[in-house]
Amino acid sequence: MAERNLKIAVPKGSLFKDTVRLLTEAGLDTTGLENPGRHLIISNPGVDFIIVRPTDAPVFTTYGGADCGICGKDTLVEANLDVLEMVDLKYGYCRFVVAEPEANAGKAEESYERLGVLRVATKYPRITRSYYESKGVQVDIIKMHGNIELGPIVGMADRIVDITATGTTLRENHLRVVSEVLGSTARFIANPASIRTDQRVIELAAKLEELTRDAEVTMS
Amino acid sequence: MIPKTPRGFRDVLPTEAAWRLSIKGAINERFKLWGYLPVETPAVELLGVLEMDGELSNTPFRFFDSDNNLLVLRPDMTLPVARMTALRLANQEGPFRLCYAQHVFTENDSTYGQDRQVMQAGIEFIGRHGAVADAEVLCLLFEALEATGLEDFTVAIGTVGVLNALVNEASDDEAWKSEVFAAFHGSDLVAVDRLASDNRAKPIYAQTISKLARIRGGEEAFDACRELVAPLGCEDGLDDLQRAYDLVTENTETGKLMVDFSIISSFDYYTGMVFRAFAPGVPAALASGGRYDGTLESFGRKEPAAGFAIVIEQVMQALEAQGVRPPHVGPEQEVSDKDASAMFAKAKELRNAGKRVVLGGEK
Repeated sequence: MAERNLKIAVPKGSLFKDTVRLLTEAGLDTTGLENPGRHLIISNPGVDFIIVRPTDAPVFTTYGGADCGICGKDTLVEANLDVLEMVDLKYGYCRFVVAEPEANAGKAEESYERLGVLRVATKYPRITRSYYESKGVQVDIIKMHGNIELGPIVGMADRIVDITATGTTLRENHLRVVSEVLGSTARFIANPASIRTDQRVIELAAKLEELTRDAEVTMS
Repeated sequence: MIPKTPRGFRDVLPTEAAWRLSIKGAINERFKLWGYLPVETPAVELLGVLEMDGELSNTPFRFFDSDNNLLVLRPDMTLPVARMTALRLANQEGPFRLCYAQHVFTENDSTYGQDRQVMQAGIEFIGRHGAVADAEVLCLLFEALEATGLEDFTVAIGTVGVLNALVNEASDDEAWKSEVFAAFHGSDLVAVDRLASDNRAKPIYAQTISKLARIRGGEEAFDACRELVAPLGCEDGLDDLQRAYDLVTENTETGKLMVDFSIISSFDYYTGMVFRAFAPGVPAALASGGRYDGTLESFGRKEPAAGFAIVIEQVMQALEAQGVRPPHVGPEQEVSDKDASAMFAKAKELRNAGKRVVLGGEK
């Protein structure tokens, strides 16, 4: 039986360019991957690149749609699925922060004092819950899908937990960072069965580790 | 109203049901040949009793009976069998070789698309410890998987002994220790690396832990591991594991055994060898198990023990990926006769000769 192609989940969006560069450096045939157009899968000799939304990379990898893949640490924490987190690839740096409108300084503390619970708007309920649990702070989480900064502006929430690379968007919306939650970079992940039954996954992990060992942490 | 089943629970139709029966039968036959005796335990247990060995997670099906007891649908088979051995076999001398094929119930998020009820066929070998007992458990796993018709599978083994020794030597900081174990349990090797260069732990031990997580391979992996941990005096369980490894590779033809220390990522109750079986085309483990020498004591009887559970649904998926198709289940022939007595007689004769026969008739 001819060996089937190795399946790699490649995240669209901000991690895409660095990912393609790294996979090329790792010696994979990435012909056509740089400009995939409308193609969902780029098939080259020995390897299939499955182009997915970053948040879906852990899903593909867990359920065997891909043997391995690349995604941010943030999506891994949020997905909470059974994959092996193998290598920190160092690019795609961003951080999770707690923020509030500059104009509301002190309001959240006052409200927490009075109600014993903080209302937090976020796209990342799992990260938010585990952060506040570790602090022993009671929170009501309001899950949103975008423009989180609106939550406290319209009075729906006291604070937000959101992702930021440089902090520019936060400043533009007159939000100030209250505390740091988690720093995130891109990770190479593997399916628990593939890593134990397919030598190619182990070799790719080793190669990526070697390529990124001394790399500086960068934003994408 | 649509007559549906709850999410994650499903009906099994004849073709699949017959296939499941034959797979369970083949596995059970191997268990029997090794001297393992079947047991059954109740589908529900008292939550407080099962938690004598530690808190249970992923047990969503909890309810009160009319006596106001808090009950739980069993989330695995190891705890019920350990409880049973401590209670019902209290007056008998071990060792006990027990096997089962029962449903277990677990929870997954509603969007994960996973079964909440699966069939586990497994064994518990209670009352012996050491490499020979470990090898018995592993050999039986290989034979049971082979008996299902599976040709291509890998069993990855490790031992928690080495990790425990390293972690305890590395630091007295309980928070650091539990972060290391959590990283192993979450298969997060990046976090293991980060914790290895944490100033709460002695660097030489901590960095060894991060190398340990990446040891993977055949016989040579033992040398790599020994080279790493021997100078630190943290070889706990390694000699036993290697002896078991050798015994298993000498005595099995199908399947592959490999060492992989990143495997230490399942239940908390394992105390020595741990292992999981994988096959191409199946994204999750087909079987998992290990040694749990502390569990029986939690139920009031001090005995070493080891065992494993094979998930029948995963084995079927692996078989399909390897091109095996479910066996034909229809009857071999139909017998008809206007005279019903003659028809019954003729069919009986054929059945006695071993044929599968259905009776004809009008609708």
